[in-house]
Amino acid sequence: METDMKQVAQFFLAGLVLLAVVLIYDGFFILEEGKQVVITQFGAPVGDPVTDAGLHFKMPFIQHTEIFEKKILIWDGEPNQIPTNDKTYVYLEATARWRITNALKFLQAVRTEATAQSRLSNIIDGTLRDMVNKNNLIEIIRSSDWSMATMSETTDPGLVGGKPVNGRDQITRQILEIAAKITPQYGIELIDVMFKRVNYIDSVRLKVYDRMISERKRIAAEKRSTGEGLKAEILGTVERKLKEIISTANKEAVTLKGKADAEATKIYGEAYAQDPDFFAFQKTLESYRETIGGNTSLVLSSDSDLYRYLKTVDPKPGK
Amino acid sequence: MTNQDQQPPWGKKHKPQTPEEVVAQLINKLQDFFTDKKNPPPPGNGQEPARPTSPFANIGKLLTVILIIIVLQGVYSSFFKIAPSEVGVILRFGQYSRTTPSGLHFKIPYIDKLYKVDVENIRMEEFGFRSRTPGQQSMLDKRGFDMESLTLTADTNVINVAWIVQYKVADPYSFLFIVSDVKQAIRDISESVTRRIVGNMDFDYLLSNRDLLANSVKAELQAELDGLFPKGTPGVSITTVQFQDINPPDQVKPAFNEVNEADQDMKRLVNEAQENYNRVIPKAAGEAKQIIEEAYGYQAQRVNDAQGETQRFNDILAEYKNAPEVTRTRMYLETMKEILPNVQTVYVIDKNQQSPIPLLNLSSPGLSTAQPKQQQER
Repeated sequence: METDMKQVAQFFLAGLVLLAVVLIYDGFFILEEGKQVVITQFGAPVGDPVTDAGLHFKMPFIQHTEIFEKKILIWDGEPNQIPTNDKTYVYLEATARWRITNALKFLQAVRTEATAQSRLSNIIDGTLRDMVNKNNLIEIIRSSDWSMATMSETTDPGLVGGKPVNGRDQITRQILEIAAKITPQYGIELIDVMFKRVNYIDSVRLKVYDRMISERKRIAAEKRSTGEGLKAEILGTVERKLKEIISTANKEAVTLKGKADAEATKIYGEAYAQDPDFFAFQKTLESYRETIGGNTSLVLSSDSDLYRYLKTVDPKPGK
Repeated sequence: MTNQDQQPPWGKKHKPQTPEEVVAQLINKLQDFFTDKKNPPPPGNGQEPARPTSPFANIGKLLTVILIIIVLQGVYSSFFKIAPSEVGVILRFGQYSRTTPSGLHFKIPYIDKLYKVDVENIRMEEFGFRSRTPGQQSMLDKRGFDMESLTLTADTNVINVAWIVQYKVADPYSFLFIVSDVKQAIRDISESVTRRIVGNMDFDYLLSNRDLLANSVKAELQAELDGLFPKGTPGVSITTVQFQDINPPDQVKPAFNEVNEADQDMKRLVNEAQENYNRVIPKAAGEAKQIIEEAYGYQAQRVNDAQGETQRFNDILAEYKNAPEVTRTRMYLETMKEILPNVQTVYVIDKNQQSPIPLLNLSSPGLSTAQPKQQQER
């Protein structure tokens, strides 16, 4: 009898322990960093979502946990073929970062991340399409911090253009602003939206390649022509310098010679002026020496000083 | 043997000698343990023969075994080793507790959870190309490769860019728990930032400013990423952004090469002209000096000649003045003496001969009979 009682007590105790263990196991749950949870009771959410990591309690069995990411998630859009305002077709691929800020709403509105991603696609793609449609291509390529400093001189002046009115960064900001107004109803906060890739569609790209080729050919022709021009210029300089150098030298040489002649004239003049008759006499004799040569015939009077004595010894000539 | 040592609760009377014996004994004991307790315990295991035959006895034993296994596993998992380049992030009840450096550490089993993060390893992402490592297929994915590398420039041209981003974990907690896919976030933001900055530069500027581009991308990428993490604890730090390739697309490359050729042509033409210049001008400069030097020479000669001649004249004049008549005559006669031998024919005509001068045949001296006085000189 006593053993029976003991057995029952033991049975009861064991049952209690087991129950306690199961209750504790199902009642406590661990919420890890980077996660958040909504507690549901028979499918209906109870209380505020739990966002702090740690050990938490819920009613065992009747309450369940729906765990969601608290981390920042990534939305990657599909490439969209969109015409810009100036009718250029571009492939545009956007990316966004988002997180679940209200797990309760998230649970009620979209429930899973996959659904959320497709909702985001609808919202962002639509907004993006509108914004791209409204803007010219240059607005999507350049940002508001564009400046002439990052353009080179060789670029075709027709393509230099100017500062964008909005710019890529402003357009993405506008997309974010518009889309971020819609997402809170899903418990989602949109953190940023960026254009990941912007490219021409294939047919446009081929045309752009053609344009780039012609542009390069233009630059090549310009370079060749510039080369020819520079060469001609240098050759011209050579001619000029050559003439300058030689004529300057000639000028100096002639001047020098002139001065030399003048000096010589002065020297001669000063010397010969002492006795012009003697100079004439001497110079005449000198010139005889030089001018009267082998094939000359001379006719001289017998009265001349040289032949005078042929006729007479009288020193007085009868001149 | 350790296995054997760790199974004490139902006692061990016999020390088993061989592994076979150990196994046999173990199987035996387990069989005994789970068989109906109404059977008498086998000899050697009769430690508790007086135990009451309660239905919980078996369950109790089962629980004990489970408990032991749990304890063993707990002890085993409570020690952990962190490699030198890693840190361990420990969560207690899922909540961040501490970060441990490398070495051997202890954690509370089942309550603490460990994440290992390699904080020294430089991680790398490639854009617009993939390293040719064995087994990697990405290189073959030409289309994906194109879409990743083709970028629009500010002058609405298309350029091919390929670059790498290297980063490492900065704050392990942020790295683990703030962004769900850090690698993808880096890839997306890196592409976005690169395209944004490339979109601000025109084609030719890009080709010659790759360093500037890399620096701008690095700074902006880091700033964008920092924006995702809580202030002051960035999850990653970008160590390098390097542009491998900034090239025109393949279809346009020949045209670019033509520009390079034209550039070379231009330089060649200029060099040719310079060569001509260098060949002509220094020579001309030398020639100019020659002309001037010659003029100086002329000057010296002219002045010296004049000085010499006048000196001679002066000297002669000084002597002449002493005896003018004699000197004159002497000079005259000397000159004549010098001249006349060189003269072909000299005719001396008498002044008093009134008759007209007879005909002279100057060229034939033999016929000169009419000449009264003729002096033939040699």
